[in-house]
Amino acid sequence: MGNLIRAEFRKILTTKMWWALLIPAVGLALGWAWLAAKFFTDVGDAIEDALNSGGISNAELSLSSLALTRAMNFASLFPMVFGALALASELNRKTITTSFLTAPSRATVLGAKAIVYTMWGLVYGVVVALAASLGIVLGTTGKLPDASDWLIILFTGILSCLLWTLLGMGVGALLGSPVAALLVLLLYAGLIGPIAEVLITAQNPDLHLAGVMPNGSANGLTGSTAAQLLYDQIQGIVGGNPTPSERDQFAVIARAGAGAPGAFSMWISGLIFLAWTAVFFVGGLLRNNNRDIT
Amino acid sequence: MQDGSGRIVVQNLTKHFGQVAAVQNLSFNVEPGTVTGFLGPNGSGKTTTLRMLLGLVRPTSGWATINGEPFNRLGNPARIVGGVLEAQGFHPGRTARDHLRVYTAAMGVHDQRADEVLNLVGLAAAGNRAAGGFSLGMKQRLALATALLGDPQVLVLDEPANGLDPEGIAWLRAFLKAFAQSGRTVLISSHLLAEVEQTIDQVVIISRGQTMYYGSLDELRSSQQSRVIVQPADPQRLAVALREAKITNVSPTPDGKLAVVGATIQQVGDVAAQAGIALYGVHEERADLEQLFFRLTAGQYTGQMPYAQAPPQGPAPGWGAPPPGQQSGYHQQPGYPPQQGYPPQGYPPGGYQQAPPPQQGGYQQQPSGGWQQPPTGWEAPPQAPPPPDTPPPGPGASGGSDGGNN
Repeated sequence: MGNLIRAEFRKILTTKMWWALLIPAVGLALGWAWLAAKFFTDVGDAIEDALNSGGISNAELSLSSLALTRAMNFASLFPMVFGALALASELNRKTITTSFLTAPSRATVLGAKAIVYTMWGLVYGVVVALAASLGIVLGTTGKLPDASDWLIILFTGILSCLLWTLLGMGVGALLGSPVAALLVLLLYAGLIGPIAEVLITAQNPDLHLAGVMPNGSANGLTGSTAAQLLYDQIQGIVGGNPTPSERDQFAVIARAGAGAPGAFSMWISGLIFLAWTAVFFVGGLLRNNNRDIT
Repeated sequence: MQDGSGRIVVQNLTKHFGQVAAVQNLSFNVEPGTVTGFLGPNGSGKTTTLRMLLGLVRPTSGWATINGEPFNRLGNPARIVGGVLEAQGFHPGRTARDHLRVYTAAMGVHDQRADEVLNLVGLAAAGNRAAGGFSLGMKQRLALATALLGDPQVLVLDEPANGLDPEGIAWLRAFLKAFAQSGRTVLISSHLLAEVEQTIDQVVIISRGQTMYYGSLDELRSSQQSRVIVQPADPQRLAVALREAKITNVSPTPDGKLAVVGATIQQVGDVAAQAGIALYGVHEERADLEQLFFRLTAGQYTGQMPYAQAPPQGPAPGWGAPPPGQQSGYHQQPGYPPQQGYPPQGYPPGGYQQAPPPQQGGYQQQPSGGWQQPPTGWEAPPQAPPPPDTPPPGPGASGGSDGGNN
């Protein structure tokens, strides 16, 4: 197994794909975090002004946590693409033939790939997290998130990148074609998923249907965290004892602001997304354990 | 685990792709120390069979083993069997050396081995070039280099000569012969008998997914009855005279000669002399293997042949077809006597580099020069020209059978 893991690392490091996808991931995370932090700082200023004029002084919100989570969310498209190509491009280029001929069994090849792409998902996650962090530091003029909040958001972002990598790998393995896998994944995660989630949630805000879908649950993993932190912050400032329905309403709004409309809380979202990842990943591996390589 | 014999056994192998029966009940053995040719027209199931042998395609029924075990139970299979498969893939952006180092890592051999095999196949100078820029011939060499990384005991090659220049083909022949002579096993597929005829000892001929012949090439050759072509002054009288001499298998040829089967030149000459018939020419004619190959494999995807170079159809009785015993018996022929003159299987470990093969084409002699052409000192014997009055088994005919496949 160690040999095959080494081989998988060499496969990645001897081609350009890993940095060709990492650079735009960093650029997007950094740029998006920067711009979004600027925007949310302005929004935060407005809210603070309103709160201050309402008699509450010294209110400071760290809305840039929303920028952090959204930036990582967008940048996770790149590890997803990276994962999608893991097996699909080997099938497409027929290098899978030699990979299977030089390994004790297909299961060991696929297992080694899973381990190596888990590690690469982590690498992408950490790099994206650092870039997004830098982005909000550069773009925020007001209060930055607290260190502990920040770390939790980064953790969920890294986890999201990791799971997207494996989900992409599973879809690529199932479809067996890089073009098909990328089309399906990018169209879904970049366009259809987000729009559908907004529409579904706008029609029925109390329905968590969007949060059950793969992209919605992934957004929930990162977005709900930021929304929750924000909620705690506002409650700390405003005080009082909100009713459960008020609490829910705020959560819906904050999650929508964090790019996760209709999502569950962080833990539930994370578990749902993990389940989706497992479904595609295991399905893809099973498919390739039996596939005729012609 | 595997028994180290180097023997390939294919038993009742069958594969259906949906409605299409790609391979039907195929059985044959490949013995160590020999080069076995696996012949059949395009689409006859060669590639599918080899891929089943290598665990890449799951058989519908039947089985195939190497060293007594199916491929996926070989442990570290690349140390036992090397496969050169048709259209084998390379990442276009990965250099040849990096490509090989991926697989040295996978099979746990030293990275130096990558450079050794690059030298071996004559690609040393191209090691740092991306495989995407390689010609088809260079890709074939790189595929062979990959197969050799694990210093395997068995080589399985699917149409390895595709894209190779004549020098490359000559080199490959010498290489494979030397490889087999060191006691190892070679199974090589081709759709052209002429391409491998000088390399192989055993032959498996398949058509439409079924075995048509399995045995030694020499037996196949000797199974061919020769015929005497005679040009008499009076064909009719000679035919009568021959019949009186109990030589009955006589048929006229289109150009006014007689074709006599089952008699020697001397017998025919004697009969003619006794009957007082002048002979203007007598010669003996043997069918060449290519024609026989045609006859064994004809019928699949028969294309239209506008240029009237149809391969011979419907063999004359006694002319060409292997004896019936041959065809019915080949399934029960697992243990034909070992080949003469090959060293026993137990060559010293790694010894084929040192052991001087009896012929000049030993592949350890490759210089580390450019990929252009490692000289082997091996020269292809000139091709025997086909008999004059038989249709040439050349591009026209084979093009016909190829063309129908598309």
